[in-house]
Amino acid sequence: MRLTMSQYQRIKLAAAYVLLTLWAVLCLFPIYWLIITSFKQPIAVFRGPKYFPWIDFQPTLDAWNYLLFGPVQKEVLRSWSNSALLAVSSAVLAVIIGSMAGYALTRFHYFVPGLKWQNRDIAFWIISQRMLPPVVVILPFLIMYRFVGLVDTHVGMILAYTVFNLPFAVWIMRDFFLGLPTDLEESALIDGASRLGAFRKIVLPLSTPGLVATFLFCMMFSWNDYLFALMLTFSRASTLPMYIAGEGTQTYGPQWWYLSALSLLAVAPMMLITLLVERYITRGLLVGAIK
Amino acid sequence: MSEERSGTWAVAAASQPLQRRDSRAARDRSKYVFLLPTVILILLLSIFPLLFSLAVAFLSWDLSRLEGGIRFAGLANFITLVKDARFWNTTRVTVFFVTGAVALEYVLGLGVALLLNQITRFRRVFVVISLMPMMLTPAAVGYVGRMLFNESKGPINDIIQMLGGPMVPWTSEGSLALPSLILVDAWEWTPFMLIVLFAGLQSLPQEIFEAARVDGASDLQIFRRITFPMLAPVSLTIILIRGLEAFKLFDISAVMTGGGPGTATETVTMYAYRVAMKNGNLGYASAIAYSLLIMIVIFSTVFLNSLRRRTAAGLD
Repeated sequence: MRLTMSQYQRIKLAAAYVLLTLWAVLCLFPIYWLIITSFKQPIAVFRGPKYFPWIDFQPTLDAWNYLLFGPVQKEVLRSWSNSALLAVSSAVLAVIIGSMAGYALTRFHYFVPGLKWQNRDIAFWIISQRMLPPVVVILPFLIMYRFVGLVDTHVGMILAYTVFNLPFAVWIMRDFFLGLPTDLEESALIDGASRLGAFRKIVLPLSTPGLVATFLFCMMFSWNDYLFALMLTFSRASTLPMYIAGEGTQTYGPQWWYLSALSLLAVAPMMLITLLVERYITRGLLVGAIK
Repeated sequence: MSEERSGTWAVAAASQPLQRRDSRAARDRSKYVFLLPTVILILLLSIFPLLFSLAVAFLSWDLSRLEGGIRFAGLANFITLVKDARFWNTTRVTVFFVTGAVALEYVLGLGVALLLNQITRFRRVFVVISLMPMMLTPAAVGYVGRMLFNESKGPINDIIQMLGGPMVPWTSEGSLALPSLILVDAWEWTPFMLIVLFAGLQSLPQEIFEAARVDGASDLQIFRRITFPMLAPVSLTIILIRGLEAFKLFDISAVMTGGGPGTATETVTMYAYRVAMKNGNLGYASAIAYSLLIMIVIFSTVFLNSLRRRTAAGLD
């Protein structure tokens, strides 16, 4: 029997939905596993994999109690608030400094005589810093930080993350300003506004989507970083990924319940943000990649 | 790409009259006030460390040895490097990881993007779900990988055995540990490829596809002759971006396998870290780190060249 064209189309569409559902399950299963494991009792973990709460294991809040009200409470809270503080402040700084540079590269003309560099070359020089493997710059960071007493301090980490995020912030904001019409800032300048004033009062408010996307990405990079934290902190300024890694590599099976809860504390903020502002994130990804 | 389209013109059209209206002194001042913070930060905390690191690579600087201190060592660190079997192993691991992970992520991402391009309902739901893995902290992802691939208590082996398969020694068998790591990395990063490729698909002009369909081209022909070639620039760009990131692999493998079993999943970054922090040999660690930089430069040069060739061919 030969299929008609529309039957063929319908089968194709149905197959696409089936495969996409399978893909969605693949994406979500590890997260589901993390969530249910955090509600398992040690014994439920130890007896091999269990999949459904109330059906093949009895969920408890033991792990969460241990984590939030138990002996590790202080360390967990400190790591979490360190992560949040470092991520937010370095992202704010990177967005401010980066958007200024991004703006400058689209509105002024630069020429570096010795190198014959123009705006494009400067922009490329800045983004190329992002390609550097962090391990190359991190040893000098450690040596320099030892010298000036910035090891294991919040200031030191904020500075490191800001510089790490800066190239990306410049790149993405530059791209944004390229597409922004200039009539409004022109009329403000004619009316006697200073350049900085026009930038602050007119350009920035118009650029909210770009600023939000940049902020989110910078925050995500810092929040997720492990290498910088591992090299430059040990207690006072250490972050959540450090804590997870420290616990995760030392313990086996039975500790899973507690480590799953800990991992959820680390991934939950980013998942919430993704759900709330998916549009901005998609936008940021595309600027970073396509353009 | 868009730079050529919108950027150059926007700047040319917009900045000329603007620059005339600022007073010259004010213009010069704000010109530098806006750009200098970035340039100074990058010079101080990116370029300087880079040069510092290069200098250290030529020193004998070993914190574990009390005598000796810091001496100029010439090429000694690099000679040790060339003879170091463990270093070559980490290079092999890293290159294998980059190739495997990026290839898998690209193929999967393209496949799912094509599926997503066919449907009309629930698109946003699938996009949001796909974004999830990519937003997660790699240290936590490494830990999830550790749980999922655990041989006796993890669900993956459990499901395989339910289906009648064998018990797979995912992370304890040297030859399987790296593929397991690739699977976990692919779980986290395929979504990136997917989102960008999907946007690329959406931006292709629809008329061509309609014309091809009218001419009776099959789906496979359309993909091979139209879709795939037209996606080539985007494809090369994201393969480059992911490749660059994959070369730096550290966090997922540090938590999931700790570089083991033995050194089966030890990456270059991990080895440099260990030599510096565990052995205190800063000179040698810098040489290892620099070799990674060189690999990355070679990789991206090759890639950028092929990108340029494609663009040039397109212009003919």
